[in-house]
Amino acid sequence: MFKKQLLVLMSTVLLTFAGNVIAAKEPIKFGLTLDYTKAYVFATPSFGQAIEDYVKYVNMKGGIDGHPIELLNSDHGNEPQRGIEAYERKKREGAIAFEHLSTPVSKAVLPKAMNDKVVMMQMLTGRADAADGEVFPYIFPVSPTYWAMAANIIQYIADNVKDIKKAKVAFTYLDYPFGQEPIPIYKALSEELGFELKLFPISLPGTDQSGVWSNIRRFKPDYVISWSFAQLHNIAMTEMKRNRIPVDKYISVIWISKNDLKSYGFEKAKGVKRVEGVVTGTDSPIVQDILKTLYDAGKGSGPRENVGLLYYMAAFTEMVTVVEGMRLGLEKYGAPLTSEKLKMGLESLKDFDAKGLMAPITITPADHQGGGKTRIAEWDGSEWVPQSDWNAAYSDLVWRVIKEHSAKYKSGQ
Amino acid sequence: MFYRQAAIRHTSYDQTKKLYPIPFDKWLVVAVLLVALLAPFAMSGLYLNSYLLPWVIWSTAALSLNLLMGYAGQIHLGYAAVMAIGAYSSVHAMRLGAPFEFALILGGATAMIIGVGFGFTALRVKGLYLAISTLAVQYLVDWVLTHVPAIGGGTQATLQTPTPALLGFEITTDIGRYYLALGWCAVVTIFMLNVKRTGLGRALIAVREKDYAASVLGVNSYYYKLIAFAVSSFFGGVTGAILAFTFFGAVTPEQYSIDISIQILAMVVVGGLGSVLGSFFGAGFILLAPLFLNNMVTGLAEAYDFGVSRSVISHIPLILYGGLIMLFLLFEPLGLAKIYDNIRKYFLVWPFGFSRR
Amino acid sequence: MDLDWWYIGELVVNGANAGLMYSLVALGIVLIYKASGVANLAQGALVMTGGYVVLALAYDAGLPMWLVIPLSMVILFFFGMGIERIALRRMAGQPLIMIIMLTLGLEILLRGIVPAVWDRGGESPIIPLTLPADSIFIGDMLINTSYLLGGVIAIFLVILFVYFFRTRIGVVSRAVSDDPVAAWSVGISVERSIALSWGLAAVVSAIAGALWGSIQGVDWTLSLLLLKAVAVAILGGLDSIIGAILAGFMLGIAENLAAGFLDDIVGGGTKELVVASVILLTILIRPHGMFGREDIERI
Repeated sequence: MFKKQLLVLMSTVLLTFAGNVIAAKEPIKFGLTLDYTKAYVFATPSFGQAIEDYVKYVNMKGGIDGHPIELLNSDHGNEPQRGIEAYERKKREGAIAFEHLSTPVSKAVLPKAMNDKVVMMQMLTGRADAADGEVFPYIFPVSPTYWAMAANIIQYIADNVKDIKKAKVAFTYLDYPFGQEPIPIYKALSEELGFELKLFPISLPGTDQSGVWSNIRRFKPDYVISWSFAQLHNIAMTEMKRNRIPVDKYISVIWISKNDLKSYGFEKAKGVKRVEGVVTGTDSPIVQDILKTLYDAGKGSGPRENVGLLYYMAAFTEMVTVVEGMRLGLEKYGAPLTSEKLKMGLESLKDFDAKGLMAPITITPADHQGGGKTRIAEWDGSEWVPQSDWNAAYSDLVWRVIKEHSAKYKSGQ
Repeated sequence: MFYRQAAIRHTSYDQTKKLYPIPFDKWLVVAVLLVALLAPFAMSGLYLNSYLLPWVIWSTAALSLNLLMGYAGQIHLGYAAVMAIGAYSSVHAMRLGAPFEFALILGGATAMIIGVGFGFTALRVKGLYLAISTLAVQYLVDWVLTHVPAIGGGTQATLQTPTPALLGFEITTDIGRYYLALGWCAVVTIFMLNVKRTGLGRALIAVREKDYAASVLGVNSYYYKLIAFAVSSFFGGVTGAILAFTFFGAVTPEQYSIDISIQILAMVVVGGLGSVLGSFFGAGFILLAPLFLNNMVTGLAEAYDFGVSRSVISHIPLILYGGLIMLFLLFEPLGLAKIYDNIRKYFLVWPFGFSRR
Repeated sequence: MDLDWWYIGELVVNGANAGLMYSLVALGIVLIYKASGVANLAQGALVMTGGYVVLALAYDAGLPMWLVIPLSMVILFFFGMGIERIALRRMAGQPLIMIIMLTLGLEILLRGIVPAVWDRGGESPIIPLTLPADSIFIGDMLINTSYLLGGVIAIFLVILFVYFFRTRIGVVSRAVSDDPVAAWSVGISVERSIALSWGLAAVVSAIAGALWGSIQGVDWTLSLLLLKAVAVAILGGLDSIIGAILAGFMLGIAENLAAGFLDDIVGGGTKELVVASVILLTILIRPHGMFGREDIERI
C-alpha cells in the first residue's frame, strides 16, 4: 500500500520536473547564478524568467536531441566571493556553462573559468574585450559590446544632424566601470568626426541627477546619450522635462524597457530612443509559441506581462543561442556534451538570428561578439519602433579598442 | 571531563603563563592545525576553494581587525579600504618587477603608512566619531580606486594579479595558494595569541578600558593607539594582498567595498571582541552562513514549491543573516567565543557541575 | 573664467533644498542620539521602510494621498517604538560598538524583509506627489519644485520639533538626554522617553521616504541615503536639531557647487569626495560639530 503511494508521489514529482516528456538521456546542466537582491534586481527577475521559460519549452519539445536541459539556480547577491562559491558548486554539480548577469561576479569568476576551461556566457555584463576569442577562448559575450553600441549611436547621430562637425553630444553616465566603459570610443570618435563631446558623470547610486541636468541644459546638446538603467531613466526624463529639454534628444543604452517608462508615463515618454540588440514585443512566432504552450497552460515562470520586454528578450535570445550552440556541439562531436564541445559548437554558429529575434551573428574562434550589430529604436507611446537597420558602425575602431584592452589583459598575466 | 585539570601542578611562573595550561586545549589546537594542514588532500576543489580558503583569509582579516577593536578598543568601519590599499600596492609593486615577498611587505607597509596617516586625524576623537571618520576613509579610497586609472586599472577597472612566487618557487596550484594563506594566518594568529602577554598588549588593554586611567598609570594612550592602528593596518594590508593573490586572482574595487568592511566588522563582533578563537568562529559564521542558507533555501524551494517568486526566496538569506546578527548581540553579546567558553566550562567540571553553583 | 551668476544661483538654490532633504533623514539620527546617545545606522533602512509603506498604501490599497501620508506616519511611529522595545532596550548598558552593530544588523534585516514583503519584481515605482509645476524659471535659473517642497517641509518639521521640545513631553525628553540617571531618580520614565524618540525618528523617516520616493522611486537604494545623513548629522552636531538643518543646507550647497565646477576636471564623483571630506574635516577641527554639545569626560 505504502509502496504504491510512494510510486504515485514519485511519478508526480518526476512529471512536474520534466514536463510531459520523460527524457531518457542524461541532462545538460547550465549554471544560472544571478543577483536577486542587490544592484541587478531591476533586470534579474525577467532575465531569470526568460531563461527558465525557454528551457521548459525546449524540454517539453523533447530536449536537445533527447537531452533535457537542467538549470542550476543560485543567488550571489552581486558579491564576488559568493559568486565564486556558486560557480565552484555548480561546476561540481556538472554545469558546463554559466551566466552570472553581474559584472563584479563575472570579473571575479573569469580567471577561474578560463583556467577550468568552462564556458562563461556574459551577455551585456563583464569585460567588453572578451569579444576577442583568441585571448578569451571560453568567454562568450555573443551580443554587441557596449563599445559597439556606442559606435552605433554616434552613427545614428551623424545620420540625423545637419553637420556632425558642429554637433554637440552630451554623454551622461553612471560614474563607475559600467558607465565609464564607452568613454574611449566616444573620445576617439569625437576626434575622428569632429563633434563636440562633453561628459556628465552621475555619482552612484545615480538617483541624484538634478545638478547634472542643469549643466546639460547649459551645454545645449543636439543629443544626450545616457549610460544608466531602469528607474534612473525615469529620473533623467523627469529632470529633462524640468529643464525643458525635449525628451526625443535622449538616447539610452540597451537597459531601458517598456516597464521602466510606466511610472514616467507612456505618452510623455514619446520620442525616447534606445540602442537595442534584440527584437522586443510578442509578435515573433517563437514568443507566440511560448505564450501558448507555457503561459496559456499556466506553466510560465513569472508574470505574463514580462514576456516580450527587453530584459526578458535579451535573456531569451541568449538562451536560444546557447541551446543552438549545444545542439551544434552535440551534433558534431557527440554526447556527452562538455564545455569544450559547447565552445566549439558556439564557435560554429553561422548567420544565426535566434529565430528572427536578433541580427544574424557569426561566431568564430577569433570573434566572440558575432558581428555586434544593433539598431536604434524610438518609443512611439506604445511600442519601440526601429529607426535604422541592424548595423555595426566603425567596427574597425571598436575592434582596435577591443584588441588594445585584451592585449593588456594578456600581458598582465 | 575532557579538559582534565587533575594532576596539573604549576611549579614556576613560566608554567602558569603558558598559552594552554590544560593539555587537552593544547592537543585540540594541534589537532585543528593538523586537520588544516591535511585538509587540501582530503577535500575536493569546491570545498577547498570556496569554503576553506576564504575562511582562512577572512579569519586573518578578522584577527587583524580584532587587534584594533578587541584589544585597543578602537572602532574601524573602513577596514576593507585598508585591505584594498595593501592589495593594490602589492599588485602594482609586482607588476613593476618586485619579488612577491617584497611586494607583500610593501603592500603592508603602504597600508600602514596611509592607515597611520588617517590615524593621526582619526585618533583625536573616539568612539562614534572615530567610527564615522573611518567610514569616510572607505569612501575616499573607493573614489581613488574608481577614478584614478593609474591605480584602478582603467576602463575595465580590473587588474590581474601576477603569479605569486615564494623564495623562487611559483605558486600555481590551489593547494599551494591555500598553504600560502594558511601560513600567513598562522603568523597573525601566533602574534595575536602572544601579544596579550607582552607589555604592548597590556598597555593596549589598559587604553581600551579607560584611556585617562591608562595615562595616569604612565601609559601614553595616544602612542599606543597609533601603534595599534599601525600594526593592525599592516596586517590588514598584507591580508588584502593575500586575498587578491590567492582567492580572487584579480583586484577590483567591488572586492574591497563598504559591504566587506561591514562583514569583517560583523565577524569580529559576532565572534567575540578580543578573542582569537572568536575571530575564526565569526569569520566562519558571517562568511559561510549566507552560502549555506542560500543553498539550503534554494534547495528547499526546488523540492517544495512555495508558490512565491524566486526574488522573494532570494531575500530570505539576507533576512536570516541580519536577524542572526541581531539575535547574537541581544542574547550573547560576547559572541560565539563565549558560547564555546560556556561549553568548555561545563565540561571542565563535568560530571560535577553542581560544584560551580 | 567669467562666472555665470544664474548658474551659481541655480546650483545654490537646488543644492540647498536637496541638502534640507538630507537633513530630513539626519533628523531621525539626531532625535535618537539626543535621547539615548545611540547613533542609529539603520536610519537609511527606516527611510526605505517608510517609502515602501507609503507605496503600499498608495498603490496596493489605493488610498488617496492625503490619507496615505498621515496613515503611514502612524504606522511608522508604532514600528519605531516596537524596534526600541524589542531590540534596543535590551542593549542598555552594553558597549557602544555593540549597539552600533545592532543598528547595522537591523539595517541588513530591514533591507531583506521590506523588499521581499512588497516585492515589485524589479520595478521601483515613483510615489505620485503631484505638484503644480515641475520647475520654476527665474531668469535662466531653474528651481526644482520637488526639492523645494522637500526643503519647505524640512524647515517646517524643524520648527515643529523646536516647539515640541518646549512642551511638557519635550521637557521630559530634554531632561532624559541631559542626564538619564538624574531624570530617572526624579521619577521620569527614561524608557518611555527613548521609545518616543525612536517613534518620532520613524515618523520623520516616513516623510523622508515619501519625499525621496517621489523623486527617485522606491527601492532598496533609499537606504543609501544613510551616509549623507551621517555627514549632515556630524557636521551639525549629533545632538542639535537646528544644527542638522543648517548642516544639510551647507552640505547641499557645497556638494552641488563642487559637482558643478569640479566634476569636469576630476572626472566625476566629487559629491562623495565632498561628503567624505566634510566628515573628516569636521571631526578633525570640531568633532562635536557646529552646534553639538562638547562632552566633558570623567574618569
